[in-house]
Amino acid sequence: MTQLLLAKETLKTFVGRNEVYLKPLGKFMLALAAFVMINSYTGYMERINSMSIVLVAALMCSFLPLNFIIICSAAFIILHMYALSMECALVALILFLILALVYFRFAPKDAVVVLLLPMCFYLKIPYVVPVCAGLLATPVSAVAVACGVVVYYMVSYVAGNVSGLSALEAEDMSGRFRYVVDGFLKNKTMVVVMIAFALTVIIVYLIRRLSIDHSWTIAIIAGTIAQMVVLLLGALLMDAEVSTIGIILGSLVSAGIAMAVEFLMFQMDYSRAENVQFEDDEYYYYVKAVPKVILSRPEKTVKKINAQRKKKKSH
Amino acid sequence: MIHEERVILMSRLQAYEDNEGKKDIATANYFRGDYIGLQMLKSVIYITIAAGIFYAGYVFYNLEDFLKSIYETDWIEYAKLLLTRYLVLVIGYALITYMVYAYRYAKAQKNLKKYYGGLKALNAMYHEEA
Repeated sequence: MTQLLLAKETLKTFVGRNEVYLKPLGKFMLALAAFVMINSYTGYMERINSMSIVLVAALMCSFLPLNFIIICSAAFIILHMYALSMECALVALILFLILALVYFRFAPKDAVVVLLLPMCFYLKIPYVVPVCAGLLATPVSAVAVACGVVVYYMVSYVAGNVSGLSALEAEDMSGRFRYVVDGFLKNKTMVVVMIAFALTVIIVYLIRRLSIDHSWTIAIIAGTIAQMVVLLLGALLMDAEVSTIGIILGSLVSAGIAMAVEFLMFQMDYSRAENVQFEDDEYYYYVKAVPKVILSRPEKTVKKINAQRKKKKSH
Repeated sequence: MIHEERVILMSRLQAYEDNEGKKDIATANYFRGDYIGLQMLKSVIYITIAAGIFYAGYVFYNLEDFLKSIYETDWIEYAKLLLTRYLVLVIGYALITYMVYAYRYAKAQKNLKKYYGGLKALNAMYHEEA
């Protein structure tokens, strides 16, 4: 454990010192992963379904604010939908606009949850997002989590019903629009998942704020179990389709990831290198303040005292 | 001579001013009522656009029914119904906005109080030297 804690300290210092380079790199990786996933999941528009476009867009995102990745991802989704049919693009556009106008005006930082949740769905571990949102954010993030679920089910419904959509007559625009909206809004699984995830965020948040020992670990375990139970019960009651083994395995993996997040972020007083400039009457100051290394030396505890062996005297 | 303690304090204050402080200072530039009022106005505009988009989508979704019943509908009644729903939505949303931004304004002021405390200490350091 001490080794791990030391590794965490080293990592913290490394991140603190090299934040200038790590931040764009992180954004680049996130954007790249998001765009590649969108392209492989939908990918109806040939023109943007190429690695060069993805790389250029991801590079652009690495220097711009985080929320630009979300705007780009939404644009990718809308363009792919447009290539499939205009009505799908319209549904996606309306959904994104309403989310942006109503919710993300208040909490623009939460928008990243809406990006991460569909990505984790793609990796079959969506259960990790509500737990981590409960650990790191506020209970209001439950709304963002629910929005992420809606976005995922909208995209996945369209991706799964391409043949159904193309079978409808091209002239009947309203009919196709209705087909898409009905398809994903009347999805019972989506409702169950939304409720389960939103509840998980709130449960995890409430437990981790309790003043008890290991509140974070208890929150993760309780949140994961509550999530599993609500998902399975909800699926049973509402007759929704879910894979029981998928939920259990996914939840276990997610709990593991959440534990790793807890280890890295718990009581994290994250300090970063600051580059500041200012002046007074006499000087211009260009200060680079670098966080100190606070590696505490592991304490050695004596656990067992062996009686000193007497040397055998050889005569 | 460079005064070390002063540089440390100045760096801290500048770091706050460059990061979180930017928003706090912009917020506290307004009077409380003006700030919250402006945010509520923005909210009303946003929710109106969102409601418009939603309603357009709703009409498009029910386009056939709308066209069929175009002569039978009592449009004044319908407009009244729409207006009431819209008002409820706007008032609810404006209330949420009020609560969120009243909290944020109070928080910004609290942070700035600390910052101004730091500035005062800095000022005292300069006077001490002089």
